[in-house]
Amino acid sequence: MEWKQRHVLDLDTWKREELHYILEQTSSMDELLDRPIKKVPALRGKLVVNLFFEPSTRTRVSFELAEKFLSADVVNWSASGSSIGKGETLRDTAWTLEAMGADAVVIRHGAVGAADYLARKLKKSVVFNGGDGAHSHPTQALLDLYTAWKKIGSLERKKIVMIGDVLHSRVARSDIIGFSKMGSRVVLSGPPTLMPRSVDALGATYDPDPRSAVKGADIIYLLRIQRERQDEGMFPSLDEYHQIFGANESLLKLAGADTIVMHPGPVNRGVEIASNVADGSQSMILGQVRSGVALRMALLFVCLGGVRQ
Amino acid sequence: MKILFRNGLLFDGRTLSGGKTDVLAEDGVISRIGTGLDDNGANEIYDLSDLIISPGFIDLHCHLRDPGQEWREDLLSGSRAGAAGGFSTLVCMPNTDPPVDNAALIRYLLEKGEECDGSRVVPAGCLSRERAGNNLAEMGKMAIAGAVLFTDDGSPVSNTNLLRLALQYSSRLGVRIMEHPEDRSLTLGAQVNDGICSTISGLKGWPSSAEASDIFRGASLSMDTGVPIHFTHVSTKESMNAMRISKASGCTVTCDVTPHHLCLVENMVISGGYDGVFKVNPPLRSVQDVDALWEGIRDGTVDAIATDHAPYHMDEKDLPFQESAFGIASLECAVAAILHEWKRRKDLCTLEKLLSLFTSGPASLLPEKWRTLGVIAEGSPADLTVIDPDFERVVDVSKWESKARSTPWNGRTLKGWPVMTVVRGKVAYKMPDHLSRVK
Repeated sequence: MEWKQRHVLDLDTWKREELHYILEQTSSMDELLDRPIKKVPALRGKLVVNLFFEPSTRTRVSFELAEKFLSADVVNWSASGSSIGKGETLRDTAWTLEAMGADAVVIRHGAVGAADYLARKLKKSVVFNGGDGAHSHPTQALLDLYTAWKKIGSLERKKIVMIGDVLHSRVARSDIIGFSKMGSRVVLSGPPTLMPRSVDALGATYDPDPRSAVKGADIIYLLRIQRERQDEGMFPSLDEYHQIFGANESLLKLAGADTIVMHPGPVNRGVEIASNVADGSQSMILGQVRSGVALRMALLFVCLGGVRQ
Repeated sequence: MKILFRNGLLFDGRTLSGGKTDVLAEDGVISRIGTGLDDNGANEIYDLSDLIISPGFIDLHCHLRDPGQEWREDLLSGSRAGAAGGFSTLVCMPNTDPPVDNAALIRYLLEKGEECDGSRVVPAGCLSRERAGNNLAEMGKMAIAGAVLFTDDGSPVSNTNLLRLALQYSSRLGVRIMEHPEDRSLTLGAQVNDGICSTISGLKGWPSSAEASDIFRGASLSMDTGVPIHFTHVSTKESMNAMRISKASGCTVTCDVTPHHLCLVENMVISGGYDGVFKVNPPLRSVQDVDALWEGIRDGTVDAIATDHAPYHMDEKDLPFQESAFGIASLECAVAAILHEWKRRKDLCTLEKLLSLFTSGPASLLPEKWRTLGVIAEGSPADLTVIDPDFERVVDVSKWESKARSTPWNGRTLKGWPVMTVVRGKVAYKMPDHLSRVK
């Protein structure tokens, strides 16, 4: 198919065929990762800049590995804090990168819309959103789709239950879009104080009780609980959170033996997920990490003009 | 100096008459109103056939950034922008640097305003000293010097005791208190409307209750002290209800709404790709909220339309949404935006109702000596605005008199424009090549 998405900013503009196409491309890259020599020359001579304004280990390393396996030239642009705090605006950073000849820029930024902003300012480079505030994290959603698709096949009419801090989660926002576009039904659960106001605008439903929400679930997706949310008074204690909303064996039993468990990492053991669930046979957490590299290879390859017959 | 305006459709501040009327302005005062007036001795004559002649529009709320932030706007650029936008009077907000919290700064603004050749500029003073929200500013001295409102706008008066004292203290000054309704404990870090926009964007939501609860608090204080209070840039359905309930229970409360809250919706933040041009305090609201504001105009809950023109330098606006400054610049297209939207919402309210919210409505909230600005009557000041309800034009922010270089309406075609603004009996603005000057 002809690839029409110039940037990867959010999945809201994607069609289901485009999602499928990327999943299939990811599948080929996934096979590559099993080879003794993983490096291919697909992006030789292309310059990819990783522009991370927020601390991130997983996403940054995953992108970097994907870029290196495809033989791109990789630059990790060190940036800290907001563009204002750094004394250079994001606009100037963008133009500097383009002047240096970047073919692609991966941006992780704490501000919502930073990737959209960068894409507006760059004339030639392709922008990959590595996460912007609590808004969007499209590559995480795509790797989650791939992980689930690989494990359970078609995602049509499947039920995914996301439990936790939806309010502050870019992962949740992008995953809800992605899974919905694939035909899945998304049910959200967690404390009401951690839910966005208009859940229906996301195309999801909300069930405050995780024990009823998980019934018949094909996928249970746990969202990371940040400790500062307790300090902000959004819920009384981590202990209470775990007791009521945490994924433990009894919750998993209510769902079923075939239900898979996913988590974007890093895991807070004993908060949103009990260790025996995180490490159990239904957990896909490490599979997600591996999928992340394959998915990012596929995206870079497709968006930077790679041709595959 | 005599200027004769011929054949206009007269809106006198309350009613719009069908027939053609002549208005003669003489030395800054309206001297005659009638038909077929003698043009003997007039220095200038304009033919206003098919155009509406109205009392000069009054903007109760705009930021002219003077003193101290002149890279954003200053009194001259703001005054010219106001005239180009159809306003003959601007009330400039005191959240400057330093804040306008003393009589010397009120006098500075009035004196500098006299030298400006655009809109008449009258200053609002701070309610609290240094706009810090702790102690009363010298409201008595500022009132004598010519302050027309007292407000800590940009911030609410969070200290309820201070707001109560301010109402009590100002009761004998004849200058109204204007509150920026916002409960800051509910809006900390908030960026967009708490609803569809916050849900989809992940930006922190600004709940309607943050505004409505402050209106109920202020209304209660007004009831308690018996002193009027005005709420500015009221933006939600719930706030409209708060206003309605308060008015019905006998509180002397009034409110204004802004062109952006009447014409734009929260979804534009998303469809606009998180462009900072849509960022404003209070945020753009839901479709239901916008409908409720128009309903408030229809049923008389709304007392005035005020721009909250908040100009910024592009370096402060052209940033990722979360880092962009809160504020929409609109002086030069606000009236057109409202007329355009009013037409789109056919028959929702009469044109005279709408025009009164720019004229007699805001004038009634100013100190006694300014109230004649809101009417066309023999002996009232010759401050006039001429409207062409059918004229279409594209908003081009690059040509603005204002220093602002971004507005959500840029590039939009709007129908219904002010084409001439008269201030103190002189033509302060005339749309190029539009009006026929007979003499």
